[in-house]
Formats: sequence, structure tokens, C-alpha cells
Amino acid sequence: MTGSKLAGALGALLIAALVVVALSGDRLAGHRYDAQDAAHALEPPSRAHWLGTDALGRDQLARVAEGARVSLLVAVGATALALAIGLGYGLLAGWLGGRVDGAMMRVVDVVYALPDVLVIVLLIEVLQVTLAGVPDIARRVAALVVALGFVGWVGVARLVRALVLQAREETWVEAARALGLRDRRILLRHVLPNIAGPILVAAAFQIPAAILAESTLSFIGLGIQPPFSSWGTLASDGFEAMRSYPHLIIFPCLAILLALVGFHLLGETLRAVLDPRRRL
Amino acid sequence: MQPVPRELRINLETEPPSLDWSLATDGISIIAIQQLMRGLTRLGRDLRAEPDLAERWSVSPDGRTYTFSLRPGVVWSDGVPLRAQHFVDGWLRLLAPETAAEYAYFLFPVKNARAFNAGEIHDPEAVGVRARDDATLEVELEAPLVYFPSLVNFMVTFPQRRDLIERHGERWTEPPNLVSLGPFVLEEWRHEYRLVMRANERYWAGRPALDRIVAYMIEEDSTALVLWEQGLLDLVKLPPLEIRRYETRPEYLRQPLLRGYYYGFDVREPPFDDARVRRAFALAIDRSVFPGLLRGGEQPSSSWIPPGMPHANASLGLGFDPERARALLREAGVDPAKLAPVRIVFNSDQTHKLVAEKVQALWREHLGVRVELENREWKVFLKELASDPPPVFRLGWGADFPDPDNFMNLFTSYSENNKTGWANPRYDALVERAARAPEPAERQRLYDEAQTILCEEDVPIVPLFVTASNFAVAKRLHGFVPRAMDQYFFDEVSAD
Amino acid sequence: MIRYVAGRLLAFVPVLWVVATLTFALLRFLPGGPFDKEKTLPPEILRNLERRYALDGTLTEQYVDYLGRLARLDLGPSYKYVGRDVSDILADALPVSIELGLLALLIALAGGISLGLAAGARNGSALDRSIGVLTLLGVSAPSFVIGAGLILGVALGLDWLPAGLWEGPLYAILPALTLAALPLAYIAQLTRAQVVTVMDQDYVRTARAKGVSEGRVRRHHVLRNALLAVLTYFGPLLAMLLTGSFVVEKIYAIPGMGRFFVTAVTNRDYPLVLGVTLVYAALVLASNLLVDLLYAWLDPRIRISGDER
Repeated sequence: MTGSKLAGALGALLIAALVVVALSGDRLAGHRYDAQDAAHALEPPSRAHWLGTDALGRDQLARVAEGARVSLLVAVGATALALAIGLGYGLLAGWLGGRVDGAMMRVVDVVYALPDVLVIVLLIEVLQVTLAGVPDIARRVAALVVALGFVGWVGVARLVRALVLQAREETWVEAARALGLRDRRILLRHVLPNIAGPILVAAAFQIPAAILAESTLSFIGLGIQPPFSSWGTLASDGFEAMRSYPHLIIFPCLAILLALVGFHLLGETLRAVLDPRRRL
Repeated sequence: MQPVPRELRINLETEPPSLDWSLATDGISIIAIQQLMRGLTRLGRDLRAEPDLAERWSVSPDGRTYTFSLRPGVVWSDGVPLRAQHFVDGWLRLLAPETAAEYAYFLFPVKNARAFNAGEIHDPEAVGVRARDDATLEVELEAPLVYFPSLVNFMVTFPQRRDLIERHGERWTEPPNLVSLGPFVLEEWRHEYRLVMRANERYWAGRPALDRIVAYMIEEDSTALVLWEQGLLDLVKLPPLEIRRYETRPEYLRQPLLRGYYYGFDVREPPFDDARVRRAFALAIDRSVFPGLLRGGEQPSSSWIPPGMPHANASLGLGFDPERARALLREAGVDPAKLAPVRIVFNSDQTHKLVAEKVQALWREHLGVRVELENREWKVFLKELASDPPPVFRLGWGADFPDPDNFMNLFTSYSENNKTGWANPRYDALVERAARAPEPAERQRLYDEAQTILCEEDVPIVPLFVTASNFAVAKRLHGFVPRAMDQYFFDEVSAD
Repeated sequence: MIRYVAGRLLAFVPVLWVVATLTFALLRFLPGGPFDKEKTLPPEILRNLERRYALDGTLTEQYVDYLGRLARLDLGPSYKYVGRDVSDILADALPVSIELGLLALLIALAGGISLGLAAGARNGSALDRSIGVLTLLGVSAPSFVIGAGLILGVALGLDWLPAGLWEGPLYAILPALTLAALPLAYIAQLTRAQVVTVMDQDYVRTARAKGVSEGRVRRHHVLRNALLAVLTYFGPLLAMLLTGSFVVEKIYAIPGMGRFFVTAVTNRDYPLVLGVTLVYAALVLASNLLVDLLYAWLDPRIRISGDER
């Protein structure tokens, strides 16, 4: 288990580093993320600009840090949303069982049968319109959070339901019932803490999945939009110029890679500690 | 991976939505159709209408009737000779309401064409186009239109084979159904992937030098560029940021386009209901920054008719003068510090983003106003422009035919494409008179006056720059000359 | 068995109906229509277009009309691609996606299972660790990162393989690798975890102690359990790979179906959106059924009830 703990520590370190960069990006870079400097556009990494500059002469490190803020915010938000919906839905379906469960699972089937990309694209566009009047960046982030949360909750719901179904069969639940404890109390006080481990592990893996989804969406131009940036937007801009200015694509991609590696390592460790029965 | 001799491999970027020249509307389809088909006239390198399928034409003294004499000996690729009736068939099909052709309005200058398209009259005989005999096409217009010969170089006016369209239905544009009379014929169409055209042995001007054109649909310019480097493509457009790397190489080619890029104001809402405010915002834009920013050969332009178009006048329009801009704001009683943030809305795209960010910075610096940027997905943006235009928006316009009317008509009070809400009867009258004026000097005067209203006095729009195309052309190609209307004539091209 | 399969197939119909209805409703909620363009159309022309594509009725009429056509297995005409039916478009694009998807699936399964077996069998060794790092990178890299890397390195740098297009087997290698990277890494992790768990189980230890040959133990217990673990992931993976990936198709210029999930929406090509959605949904349902059947076949302890995971 030492290997796993080491990996966990490494993951935590990576994530902590990213959070630090995200929070102190402008100061760290010595430039604001939106400060334009036409005289120093498209420069390769240098001492003044550690990661170089983009077409408007903006500091790439500050841009990557800004991207980290947006990407992490979206990922955490989407995960929280998926967890909230999935947990409630799964608990209800698993606990009530029978026909209600059957009907609720059909809904899950339908959501599963919808193509993720399409649902996300549609939801983003619908939300763009519904939220008119909200500042642009808030609207984009909210749309992504809702869209990614919506495709994410079904997985959580299935997992929670399966765990609750399993727990219901356990003798201590029967015992609690026999003692005359109310359903809600059993569910929230006894069943939930008992199954919290695997759910936490699932949540830990939901975050990198959301980062991946967000960066892919932004890469194809559907996620975060300028003047704001996420890692995917930056990578997409970089792809357009990858022959001449490789630094524009390499660093955002590296940031994504490090973030995902960090969260995966952390997730693995959580799993080893919290959910020892299931290795994967 | 050796290039096949006498084959040209190009990148169309996306699938042409249609090869039916009555229904196609977009630049991609035009590139393919231009190789397959020809029209009554074609544009020379100086953008003047030259004889093509029409050997010559004449206009009646009242300017309302054009008579085109067709070139003898032109045959379709299935051997059927071209007849004037094929034009009549094509034009009536374009105008028939059930065809639902988007570009039917191109022929609205023809007598009764608009009414026929709207379903108000049903008799095709009433439409002002007829075949006097097999070799003579006669067109009667609603009103004189001096640039009519330029109009009939456009694909929607090309002749059509009714017999084939009736036989094959909507699939007439699929190979081998598609019969054409241009330098190339369609050999294969793998949708969303590639078009293959081969030399037309029956082309009236003689078989072209190339044997085949393979036109791929590669959306990512970066991928296309790598394929070009690998020798798998002969001709690609360069992504803006890669241009500098290629600029000095012999394979590099730049062609300025007749395509204007502008910012429009919603003149119905404050603060832009005041022309002084609009002038102030226009004066605060330093256009000289755009070429360095976008690096695509953009040419700053303060007037609306793009340079290269007849009757353009680069001296018109408001230049960069921040002092005067601030004075105008004061005069209009606008305090920049108290002004609510100005919203610029544009559709999501790298270039539009860069321009908007630059304009934001310029207005902040020179006027002291706060500016918010918002971008929209394309369709949402268009809907918004139609229903509730934002205070400031970006749009572009590419020439459909090389006459200033195509640009100036845009901002008449009755144009569907005028999103600014601006209406000036004096401007409308000038543009209408100019479209009918046969004398070039007279037209110049009328357009100058109209442009002064548009770009200096009322300023519902701020022209920013005209765009250019940037190509990487394989060394083995010769004779590739793009046109300012983004037209390509690959029959002029040969390959080693 | 046959009754079970027939029952499951029958249950597809209501799910597909709900999917179609949901998509229809969401689509119509979007502002902007298929005929909003940079150059605004005169109203009479817009009316002609709406009549031609039966968009002039009320929403309910259009919905009923669409369902009616759907019942006759007619997906309708595309708005963007003049004169082409949605079924024509899908008939061109789906086979390409399936070809590429199957290739990627093969690579992912073969590569993933063998890497997983190799790593799991030598738990804790240097080989296990290097495979661990590799698979960690694999599950962490978005496809556009891998794609950009391969195009820059293998196509531009080494000039070994073309950077795009779909002209033959050589052209399929880079996109298939890009598409396969993530599932390959994930399958390797799954397999490794299974192997490590199973090798530790009492019955395997017993079998070994009894002198059953190592190869036999592996074949009998380890491989089967590893496959069962991979199978749970197989359902969603199959549908995802076969319907194509927007990013991979876009950066490699491959004429597959994945692009339509995005472009059909941005073009407001309503029938095409509904068409690709229904194809995807049907594939998801079918692959779930397939997985359940494979389960029953691989693991006789599981009775078919369609309630697994």
C-alpha cells in the first residue's frame, strides 16, 4: 500500500500545484491574463514570459492559469451537480424498489441512450438562451456545469442504487427495521454512511472525466468562449498554429494532462483506502 | 505517395451543400460548380464581364432589354448542344416558388420575376426571359440595370437541363447523372469526403491541361497544411497564424478579396441613436493594428466599397482621430465614465474574437468607455440580429458580383441585410439612381455621395478592413490565379 | 431465451420514442432556424423553403408528421444537404465510423488485455510499474492531445503516415490509435486489477497448490474473470466507438458519423440530428443487450434478468 500512498501524495501534490497556479496565476506570471502587448505577440518561452505569448501578446502562463480556474470550476461544479442528482435519485430508486425502481431505471436507460455529445451541445445552446442577461462567462460556465452534470448523474444514480439494493439485504438493516426505526432515518443515518466510500471514489473519478469533457468541448468550440479561456480553448487556438508556434498547444495540453494524472492518482488512492473490495 | 501526374488535389474545407447551381448559395459549392459549369459571361482579371457562353450582347436604348447571342458549338457533356431555352428553363426553375431557391432574388431585376417567385403570378410566359431562337436569349428588366452583364456570371443564372432534372429528380447532381458544359465533369462525389472532377473532352474551348481535380473536405486547416507538407495536397489555404512562416517561400500566394468586414450599431437604441456618438466610436478605432494582429493580408478600409471594386474610393470614411472622438462624445453629452458598458456581440470565431478584443482595448483606451464582449453560436447570432440586434455587432459581406450595388444596396432601408435599423431616404435614392446610371463618372459621384453619408455622416456601420486569401501552392502547379471574388478557374492551371 | 431477446427488443421501441420526442423538443427550443444565414433571405423565399420542408405547420403538426414518417422508417430529408435524405447521409457515414471503430476496438481490446495481463501477472515489478505509468497517461490524455501529438510527430516530423484523409489501411492507423488510446488504457487497468484480485483468491491458490499448471490456472480463472470485468465496460464503449468521435473525425478529416452530433445541431438540420440520435440510441440498446447475453454465456452463475450494473 505504500506505492498507492506515494501515488496519492503525488496526485495531491499535482492538484495542489494547479490550484496554486490557478489562484495566483497573474501574480506568478507577472502579467494579467487579458493584458495585450502587440509588440511581444507570439513569442516563445522567455524569462519575461515563461510559457511565451499568444497572438495578442498575452502571457501564456497567465492564460493557462486563467484556464485552470475555469476548467477546475466547471469540473468541480459538474461533479457536485452529478453527485447531488445521482445520489438522491439512486437512494430513492434503490430504497423504494419494485415498480418505482423499475420506472426510475427506465428513465436512466433513456438518458443513457442519448448521445452525450449531442445532449451537451443541445443543453449548452438552450441554456445560453435561457440565461440571457447573465454575464457571458457565468452563463458559459453554468451551461457547461449543467450539461456535464446532466450526462454524469446517471452513472452515479446507477451505482448508488446498486449499493442501496445491496445494503437493504444486509442483516443490520433488517434489524433496524425490526427496531421500528423510520425509513428516512435508516437511509440517511445508516445506509448512506455505509455506502459513502464507493460513492466518494466515484466522485473522485467524475472530476477528471468532467475536465476531459470540458476541454474536449472547448477544443471543438462549444465550451468556454473568448475573451475567457479554458485549457481546451487554449489548445484549440494552439492547434491552429501548431506548425509555427508549438508552445501555444504544448503548454495547455500539458496542463490538462497533469491535472488528469493528478486526479486519477488521487482517485486510485481513495479507492484503495475507501473501497478495498473493488479495485476498479 | 508520389503525386499522380496532371492531377490537382485541393482542399474545399467542407462538404458543398449542393452542386445544383440553382440551389447552392455558399462559397464552397461555388468553387466546385465553377469548374463544372459556365455562364453567359465571366469576369476577367479586371472584374469586367467578358463574353463566355454568350459571344456578345446588346442592350436596348432604354436600358431595359438585353439580348445575348450564344456562342455556337457549345455542347453539354452528354453531347446535347446548348440552346437558349436551357437558360430560360434554368431561370424559371430558379424563380419557381416550389424550387425554394434561396438565391432566386438574384433575378428579381428581371421583369415579373419577383411576383412569379412570390406566387402572385403563375404564368411563366410573363417573366421577362425568352429564347428568341436557339442561339438568342432575350431578357427584359423591370428597370435599367447597368451591371446586368456582371450579374449573369453568377452560378444561379447558369443554364439548366430540364429533361435531366425531370428524369433524375433531386439526385440529378449525383454522378453519373450530372451533365455539365464547363472544363470539367463530375466523376465521383463521396459526400463529406471528396469530389473528383475529370477533364471534359467536349469543352468548347478545348480540353483543360489537368486530367483530374480531387477536392477533399478537410475542415482543420492545420491538418490540411501538414498534408500539403507531406505532398498529399497541392493547394491549401493557410491558417492565419501560419502565414508568417510561409510568407517568404516561393509557394506562398496572397489574393486580396472583395470581402468587407464591419461593425454595425443598432441606431434605434441609446447611446447609438445619436450619430455623433457613432462617429466618435468610429474615430476611436485605429485600423492600422489589424494587419499585424490578424496577419492574413487584411487591408484597413474606412469606406465601404472595397478597394478593387469599381467606384471604390479609399479616401472616404472616418480615420483614426481620438481627439475628435472625445470631443464628439462631449458634444453629444455622453460621459464615458457614466456610460453603461457597451456590448459587442460577434459569432464564435478566432478572427472575430481577436478583432473584438482589439476594439474593446481601443475604445477603452481612447474613449474611456467600458466594453463587454459576447459571442454567440452562428445561428443564435443571426437570430438575434434579425429580432433584436445588439448595440454593436460584427458582420462581413463578400461580393456576389463585382458591382458596388452589391455592397451599397445592403444598407438601404428596405434591405433584409441591414440590421442596424438605420434608414436614410437620401441614401436609398442615391443607391437606386447609381444602379441605373450608365455613365461611370455619374456613378462615381453618386456612390461617393452615398458612401459619405454611410461612412462619415450617419455612420450606422464602421467598415474595418477587407480580407484576403493566403495560399500555399505546390511548386509543380502553374497558372493558378485566384480572383478577388474568391473564384477559381482550374482550367487555367497545369501541373508537372 | 428467444422470448427474452424478443422482449428486450420490443422494449427498445418506447425508449426510442422518448429519445426522439426529447430531442425534437430540445431542438425546437433552440433559437435560429435552418435558413438563417449571413445573407438574410427575402420573406417570400423563406416561405417557399418552409413549405418545401413542411416547416410551415404548427409544432404539433410537425411532430406528428415526423413520428408518422419515423414509423415508416423514413428519417426525412436533410435541410443542409439539398436533395439528400438523412438515411442516405447515414448510409455513407456510418460504415466509415464502424470500420474505424471496430479497428480501434480491436486495438483497445488486444492491447489493453495483454498489457493488463502482463502487468497483473508480475504485480509490483518494473514492467508493472511502467505499464501503470503508460495506462495512467492513456486515461488522462484527451484525444485531441494524442491526435495533435501524432500528427506533429508521426506525420509531419517522421513523415511515416499521412496526417489525415481516408484512402486506405495506411490512413486508418493514426486515427484508430487516437481513438483506441483511452479505452486501451482503461481496459488494461481493469484487467490488471482483476488479475491481481483473482490471483489472490483462495481457489486459485488451491489450484496452484494442487499442482495445476500455471497456464491452465491463468486460462481458466484469470482470463475469464478479466474478460467479465472488461465486458461491463464493453457496452458503452461499443456504441461510442461505432458512432464515431467528433474530434478524431475532424482532425483527421474522416468522413464518419461522429461529426453530425455537433454540426447537425449548429446547422439546425433537425431531421439529421434526430437521425443520428436514433441510430446512437439503437446502438446503445443493442450493445447493452449483447453484453447481457455475453455475460450469461461467459458466466453461467448469472441468470439473465437485465439488471446488471
